Amino acid sequence: MERPFLEAQGLHKRFGTLEAVRGVSLALRPGEVLAFLGKNGAGKTTTVKMLSGLLLPDRGEVRLLGKDPFRDPWALKHLGAVLEGNRNTYWRLTALENLVYFGVARGLRLAAARKRALALLEEYGLLEKAHTEVRHLSRGMQQKLALLQALVHDPEVLLLDEPTLGLDVETSLQMRDKIRALARGGKAILLTTHQLEVAEALAHRVAIVHRGEVVLEESKEALLARFAGEHYVLELEAPPPPGVLARLRALGVEGEGPFLVRGDGEALWRVLEALKPLPLKKVAKAEADLLEVFLKVVGRA
Amino acid sequence: MLDLLLVEVWRSLLALRRYPLELLGAVVTLSLIFYLLFLGARFLAGPGVEFGGRLEAVLVGYLLWTFTLSAYNGLSFGLMEEAQTGTLEQVFLTPYGPVRLYLVRDLASLFTQGLLVFLIALVLMALTGARLSFTPQVLLPFLAVLLGGYGLGFAVGSLALLYKRIGQLLGLSQFLLLFLLQAPGEGLFRLLPLAPGAALARRMLAEGAPLDPATLFLSFLNGLAYLTVGLFLFRRAVRLAKGRGLLHGY
Repeated sequence: MERPFLEAQGLHKRFGTLEAVRGVSLALRPGEVLAFLGKNGAGKTTTVKMLSGLLLPDRGEVRLLGKDPFRDPWALKHLGAVLEGNRNTYWRLTALENLVYFGVARGLRLAAARKRALALLEEYGLLEKAHTEVRHLSRGMQQKLALLQALVHDPEVLLLDEPTLGLDVETSLQMRDKIRALARGGKAILLTTHQLEVAEALAHRVAIVHRGEVVLEESKEALLARFAGEHYVLELEAPPPPGVLARLRALGVEGEGPFLVRGDGEALWRVLEALKPLPLKKVAKAEADLLEVFLKVVGRA
Repeated sequence: MLDLLLVEVWRSLLALRRYPLELLGAVVTLSLIFYLLFLGARFLAGPGVEFGGRLEAVLVGYLLWTFTLSAYNGLSFGLMEEAQTGTLEQVFLTPYGPVRLYLVRDLASLFTQGLLVFLIALVLMALTGARLSFTPQVLLPFLAVLLGGYGLGFAVGSLALLYKRIGQLLGLSQFLLLFLLQAPGEGLFRLLPLAPGAALARRMLAEGAPLDPATLFLSFLNGLAYLTVGLFLFRRAVRLAKGRGLLHGY
């Protein structure tokens, strides 16, 4: 297996009384997209900022191609980032000027930055807007430019914090295509999102983050299998006795209460049969946000 | 590093070309302030009063003050603006590191600041009738003063990085700069930031005094010492801001 481009071990970050990130570890290999999936405030952005050297972890360490970005700033040459909630580019400069400026600021020579900037603008269909000031570009174009700004120095690692947030459907799909192509080209990509479908469309692996912890990390296929088909959420008036719990587990039921039942109506009836005659509090079809349901079932919500 | 300097100069020239009214506004405002003070002083002193060499001395002090002022608060205003507009974190992702990048930015801004001061000097000389005996050698004490100005700029930039809204403090400390630039360059005053270089430049421009190498050396020593202190404080502030997560926004 190839050596990871990006590695983080036991990252912790506390702001006052809030433990924003608790023991997050990850490894990102060439050509791989890892989705950090979690609700707002789960600790995704804090983790991204620690990975990019913008926020010092209280504990733990980050390695970018083996280098520590907090001790060796040149490690940042291997990293590009699109940060959520930031403009990422200068609004008073044109698209081309931004790319040239950031290219040089990331360590390229002036001529090389200009050449690369023009090539990227052409590749991403922005060449005709090369001389337009960023403030006059549409939101989708600005977001695309933010991605190009992260790519201009051709880094091995990309950190994309909610890269499709607020984009219209068409632009969002275009961005997804580009991100897939970048991964095929060998970039290691960490993508944060609160939307399951974004992780589903782009990621090879998914880590679910909740309250600063990675509560689940597995391949996309395994995660999708977990969320596939119909789901029911079931609550009892009192915890079930061990014998009943064992029967529930045998039927594939997850959780400690509420319980998650996966499968069609027949599967639900089998579970209800196993619970008989325990008093039920609630049985409902899980039609809402599956991530929300998952977090509830693992007792984290 | 040279490429970084070139691209920063290019960026400031682009801003100048694209938004010339900002420079024009600064020239008009700063010229007007001096001219109104000048008219006020003439009114108080009565008609027919001659300022003689003192007008030149005051004008040189004022020009040096505008130059130093932009060196002093340029970094802080830049940091506050970038924190607000959301580019600060991208700037901090540079492998050159923020300290080197902002040093290069300071160097790159010399041209636009020089242009500003030159235009104000032309306007004020036309309005007041003052004549400055400008020798190129005077650029050396100017440079020594600017080094100290950048040092103080890095020190106050540390506060801008940590607290973001320090506009009031910047406004008030302009008057401190005025004092430092008008302070005599003798005795213990030589230890104050900016003072020895400013006094030397004043003597050269207003009195036509020759460049004194010993005083110039002392002025540079003073400027470098304050620049070192400023950079040290800024480095500490960067570390603190990264520890507390203060790089993002207000």
